Amino acid sequence: MKKSLATILALCMSATALTACGAPSAASSSTAESTSQAASSSTDAAASTDSTTAAAATEIRVVTSYGGDDGNRANYEDAVKGFEDATGNTVVDESATSNEQWKAQVKADFQTGSEPDVLFFFTGTDANEFIKNGKVVSIDTIRAEYPEYATNMLDSAMPLSFVDAKAYAVPSSGYWEGLFVNKKVLADCGVEVPDANTTWDEFMADCQTIKDKGYTPVACSLAEVPHYWFEYTILNQGDVAKHAEVPASSTDAAGTRWAAGFDTMKEMYDKGFFPTNTLTAGDADTFQMMADDQAAFAIDGSWKVGWFTGTDDAEGNVANIDDYTVTYVPGAGSRKATDIVGGISMGYYITENAWNDPAKRDAAVKFVEYMTTDEQVNKFAAGAPTALKSGIPEVSDTDSLHKAAIEMFNNKTGLAGAVQDGLNQTARSVLFASVKDIVTGTTPAATAIETALATPLAE
Amino acid sequence: MYKKKGPLALFLIPTFTFLTFYLYYPFFMNIYNSFQQIGGLGESGRGMNTPWYENYLKIANDPLMRTALKNTMVLMVLTVVFQVGIALLLALLVDNIPFGGKFFRTVYFFPIVISATALGLLFNLIFLYNGGMLNQLLMNLGLIKENIDWKDPNHYFLTMVLPIIWQYVGFYFVIIVTGLNNISEDLYEAAEIDGATGLQRVRYITLPLLRPTLCTCLVLAITGSLKVFDLPWTMFVGGMPLDKSWLTGTYMYYQTMNMADVDYGSAIAVLIVVLGVIISRVANFLFQDKEDY
Repeated sequence: MKKSLATILALCMSATALTACGAPSAASSSTAESTSQAASSSTDAAASTDSTTAAAATEIRVVTSYGGDDGNRANYEDAVKGFEDATGNTVVDESATSNEQWKAQVKADFQTGSEPDVLFFFTGTDANEFIKNGKVVSIDTIRAEYPEYATNMLDSAMPLSFVDAKAYAVPSSGYWEGLFVNKKVLADCGVEVPDANTTWDEFMADCQTIKDKGYTPVACSLAEVPHYWFEYTILNQGDVAKHAEVPASSTDAAGTRWAAGFDTMKEMYDKGFFPTNTLTAGDADTFQMMADDQAAFAIDGSWKVGWFTGTDDAEGNVANIDDYTVTYVPGAGSRKATDIVGGISMGYYITENAWNDPAKRDAAVKFVEYMTTDEQVNKFAAGAPTALKSGIPEVSDTDSLHKAAIEMFNNKTGLAGAVQDGLNQTARSVLFASVKDIVTGTTPAATAIETALATPLAE
Repeated sequence: MYKKKGPLALFLIPTFTFLTFYLYYPFFMNIYNSFQQIGGLGESGRGMNTPWYENYLKIANDPLMRTALKNTMVLMVLTVVFQVGIALLLALLVDNIPFGGKFFRTVYFFPIVISATALGLLFNLIFLYNGGMLNQLLMNLGLIKENIDWKDPNHYFLTMVLPIIWQYVGFYFVIIVTGLNNISEDLYEAAEIDGATGLQRVRYITLPLLRPTLCTCLVLAITGSLKVFDLPWTMFVGGMPLDKSWLTGTYMYYQTMNMADVDYGSAIAVLIVVLGVIISRVANFLFQDKEDY
């Protein structure tokens, strides 16, 4: 009796386990079915209430970097809802926070044929692979069918692919990199805020004065974020036109400029202009020195303005915003101080799959058009540069830092894209990891450049 | 029921199937990937490396890998000596106190339940250069006049190792306490009657009977130190300072995620497994009681 009972129990348990193994697919398929039914019924409902879009209502998959705790997450959700309400289409949002892992996941989706219909992604070398494989549609192709597509954008500001120099992405918002200044520290040292006429030599002399007074001249973690100083010390060796050139070796013209740029960073390190712990501290630790009135200057991007002023979700990190400003990084050689690093780094792509699907093509185009109207782009950019023909709108009721940022951008004489975008992830990582070795004299700049360029996967 | 093994096998099949798909298949794929050329995460292999063992040659010639191996070996020794050693000492003390045993068990085990990343952030604040707890304390006590960079080349190793050792003492403590509970009280009473002192009871009863438990701790400490990752990565991102703090676990992650050198990362992962198996087998051979074989 016991044996029979045990056998029956064993069979029941195994059956349960095996059923459990199979259950998800059944369950998920039924869930998917019901979801799909729900989606289709809601789509139907929306379609029936909006007679103007009755024929086009469909579901599109969208991947963006406006996921997680992104500062524009709320704007993005509002925009998606607005699009759904206006068109009756449904957006399946698969957004995530942008990082190297997310980039890899997006690339993997393209490889496995599970790419989204619309993608908001980087326009640099990260997009090379799926552009090379014909997985996304060029703006020219889309305009052949939809002549008004992205016509509110300056064609000259459209990011061009590194693969074939064609525009694929409709840019949303851009960025600039500038010199943030702690005016309180400068006043204590008797140093003027650098302006469009300040030369590099004058800037170095100011840094020395600030150091002698006991402050840290430059808040920067060379261990974690040497990128901004890399851009500007190299830009100072040439000009805006030359800045985009990626060297083929350390001895060609671009390579020589890069080596000289790195040597400038080494010179600054040797003079003690960076924090004592610049090789062991993170970016958050060193940038905090600006808020603590311990450091005078820091180069960072347009996204850093919110760190000072605060956002809808968080308070600013400084006691008095008027103690800070942003200005041009002093220039050297043929580069004017008003030539700045900036541009467009992300935009909306429509994939080939969505374009070739008659049911999705129209919805995908409408989605991108909706997300890149002047109103939406300005809302997302919040004062950062855009590719809109209408430019940055005038803002009167804002703080002094935002005003300084807009003034700086509007009075620029040249805009150079970040040259690091011309390197793939591996070469970039190798190069920036070697900054600590260059400034400490362990590795000559030329050797570090050669090593990065010779990285096996750097193509 | 016990004569027929069929039903028992049925129970084992689901777990076996799960492990096959989610452990053994990825494990063997990882070995295969270590011979491939892979452009980045999510990319499929572009073909075999030339020569196919290129990544293993690279391991042999990579100075940062040597740093990682050296640091890991030192960490392993420190882990075995201090983590298991302190845990054994604490367990013996707690086992011999008449009351409060449960309290101390909870207190010593507590660091284990906190996420290693959170602990890393906590220790980052303790060792922070500007305004860190330790620097402020030493400054206020008048022991230092300038802040000390606890992550610089002179201090980094201790700064990295102390939190790691501290975190896992409780883990081994609980294992050893469980082992101590399995030793019969009769043996201690008999020894006491025979006039054995406390230390003699530990030397001649506790330690020999704890040997299998200590062996388990040893294997866990060795394999654990080979793959320790989260706490050192949170505190010493990118091998700082000056590539001196690499461990095998952090270096594998760095190569895979930051440098997108997935195949090299796979080769390092294989090395970690091989080292873990070899060193733990050697440790087992040296310390395991012969009767246990």
